[in-house]
Amino acid sequence: MAAREHLLKIGVSGIRGVVGEFLTPHMACEFAQAFGTYTGRGRVVLGRDTRASGAMLEHAVTCGLLSTGCDVVQVGVLPTPTIQMYVAATGARGGIALTASHNPPEYNALKLFNEQGQFFNQFERSELIDLYHQGDFTAEPNSGIGSISVERSTPARMHIERVLGCVNQKRIRKKNFRVALDGVNGAGSIMSPRFLTEELGCELHAISIDPTKPFPREAEPRPDTLGDLAELMRTTGADIGFAQDPDGDRLAIALPDGTLIDNDDVLALVVDAVLSRMAGDVVVNLTTSSVIDEVAAWHDRKVYRSAVGEANVVERMLAVNAVIGGEGSNGGIIFPTVHYCRDSYTGMAFILDMMAETGKTLPQLVERLPKFTRLGVKMAFQNGKLGSIIQGFEQRFPNATTDRSDGLKLNFDDAWLHVRASNTEPILRLAVESRSPERAQQLLETGTDILKG
Amino acid sequence: MPVSTLRISHVGLRGIVGSGINPERVMEFASAFATFLHESGPVVIGRDPRRSGVMIREGVTAALLASGRDVIDLDVVSTPVIQHAIRQLKAAGGISIGASHNAAEWNALRFFGPQGTYLSTPEAGELLDIYHLRHFHFVPWNELGQRREDHTVLDSYLDELSRVFDFEQLRQFRVVVDCSNGTSSLILQRLNELYGFSFILINATTDGTFAHEPSTSAKAVNMQLAPLIAPLKADAGFLFDADSDRVAIATETGEAISEEMVLALATDHLMARAPGKKLITNLSTTSLLDEIAKSHNGEVIRVPVGRNSASDALSAYPAEEIALAGEGTGAVMMPQFRFVYDGIATMLTLLEMRASREKPLGDIVAAYPKYCMLKSEVPLSRQRIPQMLTTLEERFSGGRPNTLDGLRVDWPDKWFHVRVSQTEPIVRIIAEQKDTPPESMFNEILDTVRTYA
Repeated sequence: MAAREHLLKIGVSGIRGVVGEFLTPHMACEFAQAFGTYTGRGRVVLGRDTRASGAMLEHAVTCGLLSTGCDVVQVGVLPTPTIQMYVAATGARGGIALTASHNPPEYNALKLFNEQGQFFNQFERSELIDLYHQGDFTAEPNSGIGSISVERSTPARMHIERVLGCVNQKRIRKKNFRVALDGVNGAGSIMSPRFLTEELGCELHAISIDPTKPFPREAEPRPDTLGDLAELMRTTGADIGFAQDPDGDRLAIALPDGTLIDNDDVLALVVDAVLSRMAGDVVVNLTTSSVIDEVAAWHDRKVYRSAVGEANVVERMLAVNAVIGGEGSNGGIIFPTVHYCRDSYTGMAFILDMMAETGKTLPQLVERLPKFTRLGVKMAFQNGKLGSIIQGFEQRFPNATTDRSDGLKLNFDDAWLHVRASNTEPILRLAVESRSPERAQQLLETGTDILKG
Repeated sequence: MPVSTLRISHVGLRGIVGSGINPERVMEFASAFATFLHESGPVVIGRDPRRSGVMIREGVTAALLASGRDVIDLDVVSTPVIQHAIRQLKAAGGISIGASHNAAEWNALRFFGPQGTYLSTPEAGELLDIYHLRHFHFVPWNELGQRREDHTVLDSYLDELSRVFDFEQLRQFRVVVDCSNGTSSLILQRLNELYGFSFILINATTDGTFAHEPSTSAKAVNMQLAPLIAPLKADAGFLFDADSDRVAIATETGEAISEEMVLALATDHLMARAPGKKLITNLSTTSLLDEIAKSHNGEVIRVPVGRNSASDALSAYPAEEIALAGEGTGAVMMPQFRFVYDGIATMLTLLEMRASREKPLGDIVAAYPKYCMLKSEVPLSRQRIPQMLTTLEERFSGGRPNTLDGLRVDWPDKWFHVRVSQTEPIVRIIAEQKDTPPESMFNEILDTVRTYA
C-alpha cells in the first residue's frame, strides 16, 4: 500500500502542512490564538526559518497572539535553538518557531515552546489542542490588545556566548581550522559563518548561506543530499565539514574525504567531550546506537533511553538530570548547560574543541570509536498493524530482553532491533545494530520478513 | 434590544474589538477581498492609530500575502491618503483599517477599488457573497505575495493638494486644529514642515489613546478646541475624526458651527466657480443647500443616506456636471480629488473661501439664512417599521413625499425625514424649518413613531 500523503496535520505536536490550500494563515492564526489563550498575557517570542511562507505566517501568528493580549517579540529569522534559549533567558510566557525543520520547502509548521523554552510536554500539548478545537479564545478589547517589539541581534549573541562559555575558545582560534559549511540557505545562514569565523577563528568555505534564497538541496542533511558539501571538502581540503538543516537544530559532519560521519558517531564524540569535563549521565532515544553506551562506559556513566522525539528525550533528561543527551538517529545534540534543545552550534563547538585539545584530526577522533553496523528500512504503514507486528517479533525472538516504550525494542547480547511507527509520517521504521556486519544483515532480513507478514 | 457589536454590510466590517471584531473575521474579510479583486497589482493598506489596528493589520497582511497579493503598508495614514496611494502606486485596491469617528474600542475595515474609489453597491455585494461563501483563493507556497512599506505617498498627496490650492495665500491664517489623536496630526505636521503652514495642533499624539471620542460633533468641538481659539487669536478652528475624512469647524470667536454648515459653506464656495453644476447629497441634509445651489443655478441631487448611495449616484452622472458631493456630518468629496471624502481638502477649501471673502468666518456664517433642525432617535422593532412609515405618510399627506430612504416629506419652508439607521436598531427623525424650529410637527412625528415602539 502506498503511503498516504498528509498535507495537513493538526495534532499533539502542533500544526504542520503544505502552505496554500492546506495550511492557511487562518489556521495558523487560530492556533496562535489557542496558544495565547493557553499562556495568558505576557511576552511571546516569535521567530522563523527561511522558508518562503515564513513571513506570511509570521503576520498571521502575530495577529492571533496580539488578539489574546500577548505582546509579540519578533526575533525574525533565527535557528530554533536560539529562539528556545531566548524564550527561557528573557522570562517570556512562551515561544513559537515557524519552521517545518527538515521537511521540504512547501511545508511549514508551528513549533511551540513553554516558558522554559522547551517543547510542550505531552500533557501541555493535549491541553493546547483541546483549546484549539474548542475555539473559545481570549478576545481582548482594544485596550487589552498586545503590542509588537522587534529584537534582532541579542538572541544570536546570547546563544553564541553560551556555547562559547562551554569550550576553550582560545585554543580553537589558535588552530585556525579550515572548515566547510553547507547552510542550506537556512536560519543559520548569517549566524553560522559569524560563529565559525569571528568567534572560532576558522578559515571558512561556505555554500548556501543566503537566507533569501530557496533551499538548494533536500532539507534533511543526509549522505545522499550533501553531495555539494562532499565536493567542497575535496576541493578546499577542509579539516571538517558542517551541514545544518533549515532551522539549525540538526547537525551533520563530513570528513576531509567528503564522506559523512554517521550521526550516532557525531553524538558519541560530543558525549565523550562532555563526559570528559562534566559529571553526569546520558539520555538517548531507543534507536540511538550502542556506541553511546560504550563511550559512557569509558567515563563510568549511565545511559538512559527514551521514546523517539526531542520532547521525549528532554523530558527524560530533566527527570534524571542528565548532562548530555540526544538522538543519534537524526543528528540532534542536547546539551542542557546551553539549553534543553537540539543545537547544532553546541555540536560544532565541541568537536572543534576536541580537535584542538587532542591535536588529533577528525578521522583520528572517529577512529577511536568502537565500530557497529547499523542498518534500517522503512515501510509504508498499515494502520492497526503495528500490534500484530510486535507480537510477531516477540514470538520470533522469545529470548530477547524487550522494551515496549516506543514500538518494540529487542536487546540481544550482541545486537539489538527496534521497530516503531514514525511520529510524523505514515511509515514503520525498522533499525538493527550489531558489532558484526553479518549478524546485523541477518537480523534486518529476518525483521523485514516479519514486517512483510 | 441587544446592542450590536458587529456590523458586516456593504460598507465593510465594523465592530467592537474582542466581542465583534476578531482575527478570524478580519482575515476572512481580507481573504474575500483578495479573492474579489479582478485587476492585478498590489494592495495598499493603512490604519488609524487605534491599538487594535496593529493586530488587524497583521491579520489583513497575512491573508493578502496568502492570496498572492503584494502588500504595500502605509502604516498610520488617513483614509484619503490611502485612496491617493492606490492611484499613485497603481494598486489593485486598498484597505483602510480604522473606525473613523467611533470611540477607541471600535475598529473597521473599508475597501477601495483600483482608482481609490469606494466599492459600488453591486461590488460590495459580491465581496459579501465571497465572504459568506468562504471559498477563498490561496496560492502555493512559492507564489506568496511580498510586503513592503511606503513612506513617500504622504508627500505626493500634499503635492497634489498644493497644485489645487494656493498655499501661499492659505498659510497666512492662524489655525488651531484638534486632531482627535488621529491621522490628521501627521498630515498637518508635514504641511507645517514642508510648506510653512503654522497649524497649532492639539491632541496630536498618535499612540493609540484618544483624548476624546473622535467625532466631528459640535459637542466635541466645544470640549477642547473652541475655548482655545480666542485666546490664541486664531482665524479658525478645525477638528478631524480619527481617519481625517470628516471635519468640524469653530469660528474665530470660538463658536462651534453646526456640522451641517461644513457642506453648505463648501457648496457655496465651489458652486460659485462651477455654476449650474450638481451637488450630490443625502435626504437628511439641510435645505440651506437647495437655497445656495439655486443662487448658483445649481441643482441638488438627493440620494439615500450612506456612502454606497453617494458613490452610486456619482457614477450615474458625468463627472464634469458635478460640483461636489457630501453629507451633513462634515464629509465632503470634490472632483479635483476624484471624489474621495477628504477632511484636509475640505478644511483648505474653507480657508480658501475665508481668503476670498476677506471676512471673518463668523461673519460669513452669520450671513446665511437661518434653518432650524431638530433631531431625535427612537428604538423600534424592525417588524413594525413599514406600518409606521405608511401611517406617517397618510398623516402628512399635504406635503411632497419621497420614499427612497424611509420617508421624507417636503413643504416649501420645512421638511422631515424618518429613516431606519443602518448601524443601530433605531429610527432616526430629522425635521427642519426656516427661521424657527418646527416644534409642533416634530412632536407629532415623535408621538406617532413612539406608538410603534
